[in-house]
Amino acid sequence: MSEKELVTLTINGREVKAEPGRILIDVAEELEVYVPRFCYHPGMRSVAVCRMCLVQIEGQRKLQPACATPVTDGMVVNTTEASAVDAQEGMLEFLLINHPLDCPICDRAGECPLQDQTYKHGPGSSRYIEPKRTYEKALAISDLVVLDRERCVLCWRCVRFSDEVAGDAFIQLVDRGPGTQILTFNDEPFDSYFSGNTIQICPVGALTSKPYRFVSRPWDLTSAPSVCAYCSVGCPITNEARGDSLVRCQALPNENVNDFWICDKGRFGYHYADSDERLTSPLVRNEADEFVDTSWGDALGSIAAKLKDASTVGVVAGGHLTTEDAWAISKLAKEVLGTRDLDSRVQDEGAPYERALGLSSAAGSNATINDLERAGTIVWVGPDPKETLPVLYLKLRKAVVDLKAKLVVVSPRRLSLDVFATHVIRTEAGKAAEAIARLTSDDTPSDVTGPLVVCWGPSSPGRADASSIDALVDLATKLGGKLLVCPPHAGSQGLIDMGVLPSLDAGYEIPATPGRDTRAILEAAADGKLDALLLFGADVIADFPDADLATRALEGGAYVVVVELFPTETAARADVLLPSVAYAEREGTFTNLERRIQKLEPLTESPGVAREPWRVCASLARAMGEDWRWHSFGDVWDDIRANVRTHAHIDLDLLAARAPTPAPHYESGFEPDPSHSTGVVAGPGGPYPKGHRSGTPYQTGQNWPLSWELRGFEARQRPGIVPEPPASNGARPPRADDSEAGAEEGEGFALLTGRMIYDAGTMVSKSSALRHLARTPFIELNEQDAKALELSEGDEAVVRANGREARLEVRLGDVARGAVFVPYDQPGLRTNTLTGSGRVTVVRGDDDRA
Amino acid sequence: MVAEQALVVRKRLVEVDHAWKADVYADTGGYEAARNVVTSMSPEATLELVKASGLRGRGGAGFPTGMKWSFVPKDVFPKYLVVNHDEGEPGTFKDRELLESDPHQLLEGMIIAAFAVGASKAFIYCRGEFALGSRRIDQAIRSAYDNGYLGEGVFGSSFDFDIVLHRGAGAYICGEESALLDSLEGHRGQPRLKPPFPAVKGLYGQPTVVNNTETLSTLPHILNHGVDWFRQWGTEKSPGVKIFSVSGHVNAPGNYEVPLGTNLGDILELAGGMLNGNDLKAVIPGGISAPLLTTTDMAMDFEELQGAGTMLGSGGIVFMDHTTCMVRNALVAAQFYEHESCGKCTPCREGTWWQVKVLERIEHGEGRKEDLDLLLDMCERMDGRCFCPLGDTAAWAVRSNIKSFRSDFEDHVAAGHCTYETDHRTLVGARAGATGLGDAGVTSQPSAGIGSDHDGHAR
Repeated sequence: MSEKELVTLTINGREVKAEPGRILIDVAEELEVYVPRFCYHPGMRSVAVCRMCLVQIEGQRKLQPACATPVTDGMVVNTTEASAVDAQEGMLEFLLINHPLDCPICDRAGECPLQDQTYKHGPGSSRYIEPKRTYEKALAISDLVVLDRERCVLCWRCVRFSDEVAGDAFIQLVDRGPGTQILTFNDEPFDSYFSGNTIQICPVGALTSKPYRFVSRPWDLTSAPSVCAYCSVGCPITNEARGDSLVRCQALPNENVNDFWICDKGRFGYHYADSDERLTSPLVRNEADEFVDTSWGDALGSIAAKLKDASTVGVVAGGHLTTEDAWAISKLAKEVLGTRDLDSRVQDEGAPYERALGLSSAAGSNATINDLERAGTIVWVGPDPKETLPVLYLKLRKAVVDLKAKLVVVSPRRLSLDVFATHVIRTEAGKAAEAIARLTSDDTPSDVTGPLVVCWGPSSPGRADASSIDALVDLATKLGGKLLVCPPHAGSQGLIDMGVLPSLDAGYEIPATPGRDTRAILEAAADGKLDALLLFGADVIADFPDADLATRALEGGAYVVVVELFPTETAARADVLLPSVAYAEREGTFTNLERRIQKLEPLTESPGVAREPWRVCASLARAMGEDWRWHSFGDVWDDIRANVRTHAHIDLDLLAARAPTPAPHYESGFEPDPSHSTGVVAGPGGPYPKGHRSGTPYQTGQNWPLSWELRGFEARQRPGIVPEPPASNGARPPRADDSEAGAEEGEGFALLTGRMIYDAGTMVSKSSALRHLARTPFIELNEQDAKALELSEGDEAVVRANGREARLEVRLGDVARGAVFVPYDQPGLRTNTLTGSGRVTVVRGDDDRA
Repeated sequence: MVAEQALVVRKRLVEVDHAWKADVYADTGGYEAARNVVTSMSPEATLELVKASGLRGRGGAGFPTGMKWSFVPKDVFPKYLVVNHDEGEPGTFKDRELLESDPHQLLEGMIIAAFAVGASKAFIYCRGEFALGSRRIDQAIRSAYDNGYLGEGVFGSSFDFDIVLHRGAGAYICGEESALLDSLEGHRGQPRLKPPFPAVKGLYGQPTVVNNTETLSTLPHILNHGVDWFRQWGTEKSPGVKIFSVSGHVNAPGNYEVPLGTNLGDILELAGGMLNGNDLKAVIPGGISAPLLTTTDMAMDFEELQGAGTMLGSGGIVFMDHTTCMVRNALVAAQFYEHESCGKCTPCREGTWWQVKVLERIEHGEGRKEDLDLLLDMCERMDGRCFCPLGDTAAWAVRSNIKSFRSDFEDHVAAGHCTYETDHRTLVGARAGATGLGDAGVTSQPSAGIGSDHDGHAR
């Protein structure tokens, strides 16, 4: 916006220019004038109910709420004028009359906006001598959230979040007047995938976290910024530890990625890192074929000796590795082991990421997540984002519901997006491409308005997707749209970028001769034609869509090396088992689905002698005679910059760059009370990443309340970097062979699978907070199909494939005729035992016909 | 000279039997104004005429009706007309009488207003307790449809107009126009953030005019008789006639329609003077939200009352004689506001709670000297800082009682009990409202002008 269109206003005697229509409270904050507030939250619409941010504006008879007042030219604002100061003090007095003041036993104390603002703006004592309002305390409204209505100041943040942002209004205002309270409607549990955000934005201790309850005082926590290690959205988070155990995880805002939110899986799933089941030292087999502890030197020496003799080696990497690990694996395989048989696609096996090339020179997105917010039309072809990419679901919802983009969903089964989608196109399994092609037929483009973003995520299995991504690329090319590619895991895109794919080298270069993919590697191993198999965080028995093949592969005689966090089923079949480190224990980067690189900082120590996978690779290379001279995270990046054309200019300092902890001039009209500032704990301990202490302003000596808003302010300084891919030469891999596309014909039903947010996967099942949230496995099928099978809702069905069978509860749903949906990896069901052929037969539970 | 009413809006219901019946209404000149407007006037001309009349809203705020209409954007459709018939202000029962006794007059006013602003659909938000009124208006709407006054092609013109009757659930806050709209949409009845105002973004996000029953019921008369006729009464800024609901310690409580600017003493005279010839102690001039007067020498128009630090409000006048304990009066008012606070904003939700707690303590003889200043301080910290006027007026009511009658409070605190020998059947209007017993409380009083017709069972 040009200088001319800006308005000039005065805040506390200082002139400032701002875009007209911006909210006064934000403009003031940029001027480092902090207006106290409870209900205002930059991620939600203003409601102006707490009345804490009342300020004086010249010419206005009454004080005005700064959170609901747009700036106008010539506005003269005073936040420290006597009536404003009296209003602030008065509002706090009102809020405190019924507040229990149980700070000594409140989790929030020490980082509580009510506490902080009371110190700063509140009356020193209370004039209230009447009985207080009481409610039942510590009401567990879900498995993760505890509600204390006595502490609540009725700011509506949780209510607005649930309604406006998450779109599942579980938590509500009940009753009215002084009896108004927050409750779940009809006492139903607060069963939202995003419930934890309400804990973080609660300005008091009314909503607290069940797993974190009474675990620590905030001033005893150390914290470090990181990136969520689950899905490929890559939400920035802060890990917090007491001593050396990880005790809390909170969202850090990044308006490019997650706005202010994370899902409950990201927030409460950190417990797996502290699990007792973690591997702590390298394990090798003794004569009795049992695992025994050994040293890294011995383990690596024996691996090197075996690998030197191996002529055929396959390498498979899982999706939770960092970009550095990915580069190390890629380099190890191609330069040291001399193999191109490496792949990073396990559950998404065969997903044709490289087919995004041509639209841009990236095998991945050329759209950013925020392009969704600017989009006129969005096309979604992929898994259910609410289950697999929860925060992307929030962005999609915001784009459609708030910003009025059109949304076209092409899917063989009902997705959570359907509720607000403009068009839902139900296709037969594997027939998405035809439906997408019809979107470009002459009569539809008029409906595709504004900037177009097409989103694609691999279905499961992913090998049937080539035609649908081609169709989307065609659509985007024809209408000038952008593509958002959504691989499944936090590390998936980094692995693609670093060339851990059989058909792609680092920097999206296409190799002359592609190697074998995961399936081919496993088939070779099963046939005894592979000498060695290296698995980096890849639990192929649990995740590869053909469990039978994976099991046979591990028993096919190849020498198997597994780098893992846990003794998984796959790891149990290894010859050598090496312990890896979890995300909170390491420095590293994740590349998210929009190819944004974000940095993880280490916080806790890894158990035993666990090492980062890139260190394992470098040590192995050295043991095999090639010294990469990598000793630190920085060394790996020097090598990446030198060798990967797309990453040549990534500045690590910029990735970690952050402004010093802001300590703005605090204009409240009150002088700090000197009695509070004696005997304070020392100020912020050094630069932020490690050793940062939180606490009230008076404990830290900071002149600023250290509630979560501040952490957000800090996080804004770490936006991450999206590398610009080199100019496209338009080169594309050859078109998909049409015969590959589409569901395989045959007996029974096409089997659709997909991950649910909580499953029996390694990370969730090792998290004490989440493991019980996974649901019982089910089969979802079309009503007509069910009728033909004499099945109805709740019946037991026997599902058979590959000579295996599972007994599953029937759910009727909006699934394409001739297809059934079974969620991936739910407790008691290894769905990948059924997925081998892509088809299943279904009969009633009491039907004895085989 | 004995004061006289200037009957305009109440004329038919006072002078004609069964004025609520469609045929009676039609036989006494009903629907002529609406027919004339719809068939031979333009919306612009109608709006200009109402603007020129200077008619101000009769619901409480006194905002000029024509100006309110003119804020409605011309080219956004659909637009809505909403009738605020959620008359909940304690001491006020004028709209109720209009709906019960002359519902067609309201419908005719609605046709005129809707035509002027270009709305083809209207909602009547009727307070839940008004059982008889809602039956009568329901019946009136049916017969209006039958007679072609509503529906497609009103009076044979190309103007379509539909009316939906919606009964509220008796929340005082739903008389606030934006809370009314939220309630009408099915949400919690709580005021909305303004701007945008309803005229721009109201019901379902569309331009909406919200008018009071009395306001709309005045329209047919202005259209029939013209601006000059209407302006023969009242003042330059407060023209026309206004219905005042009189209750409390008077001999003849009821509704009285007089020119704006009429002296309060004349209204007291119309209501038969003070009960038992007692001395006047205090007057609530415009519903309990309005700060107290201690004199009857006051011209009852918007400007004069504002100048005296109070307001005309809804026109609910409550006279109190010297037997009234103002601690009790303040407590009753405070309890009402606490009960009716929607809980949305801090100062109203917590302030009304605290006021009641302290006043109860004083009433029960446990007051402290410092409580009076504490209450006044609380009022200062509520006034002007609440989300909507409910909280502000809650502060005014308590403050005005203490400021005007501080000695009552001090005596109470000093004596440790009430010093008045009063049975608490005083303050009929206010108490009726406070206890939610609107029907029982007010109909037990004879309403001037309505005789046997008003049996509550007529149908």
